[in-house]
Amino acid sequence: MRLGVLALLAAVWLALSGPYTLHGWLIFAFGVVSVAFVWRLYLALERAAGGGFEFFRASAWLRLPRFLVAFAVKVAAANLHVTKLILSPRIELHPRLRRVPASQKTSFGQVLYANFITLTPGTITLDLRDDELLVYALDAESEADVMDGSMDRDVLRIEGGSN
Amino acid sequence: MSGALDIATAVLLVAGGLFCIVGGVGLHRFSDFYQRTHAASVTDTAGAGLMLLGLMLQGGLSMVTLKLVLVLAFLLFSSPAIAHALVKAAHGHGLALELEIEDERGGDGDAAG
Repeated sequence: MRLGVLALLAAVWLALSGPYTLHGWLIFAFGVVSVAFVWRLYLALERAAGGGFEFFRASAWLRLPRFLVAFAVKVAAANLHVTKLILSPRIELHPRLRRVPASQKTSFGQVLYANFITLTPGTITLDLRDDELLVYALDAESEADVMDGSMDRDVLRIEGGSN
Repeated sequence: MSGALDIATAVLLVAGGLFCIVGGVGLHRFSDFYQRTHAASVTDTAGAGLMLLGLMLQGGLSMVTLKLVLVLAFLLFSSPAIAHALVKAAHGHGLALELEIEDERGGDGDAAG
């Protein structure tokens, strides 16, 4: 897994800087140094967090496009809703704090779900504890997006029976 | 570069710019810290997303587009992490939330980080 992260970092560097500048040895050396540095940071992080890098299982990559579409649709709808709130002549908000179960099994899945909620305008994740999210929502409509559990299922599907 | 593609790019860039402005207006019009983070997330998602999409159309299937995709991917991981860190810090240090509805919280004694 550690070598996988190293390969990923090298690939990202190549994609971002490599092909245009490989002929310059100085730039190439900078690349090696920066990849090594970030990898070193990753190893320190892994030690501090007491666990390694988690990511999608191979089978989940196939489900990624559908997830991204569902994600884009939900974020777009939430953006339009919050835009309407912002531009309405009188701002009327009904903020609320709710506890929402996160049914994902892996911490990666739960963090993905929490980030999904935070990225959706109108809802933000305050805390994640004991398989439960503390979600702050602007009004009933924003809250309903989360409370109906559809985002939870989206993330569950891509997490896809891990192991 | 075909005309239709240029028009699509222009529409996406302008739409993204408008959402950025809306986010900025929301920052001013909303009344407390927690509400304002929601306005900021409009800029982060719709604003940045539409603009990057518009630029990707110009890039076509190239390294430029790959870079733009990576920019979007990094943004989609970093901006919620930052928003969460800000809000959790504010909450943990006792900045009051104005609420109409609140689920009771259990074991919140160690909220301050």
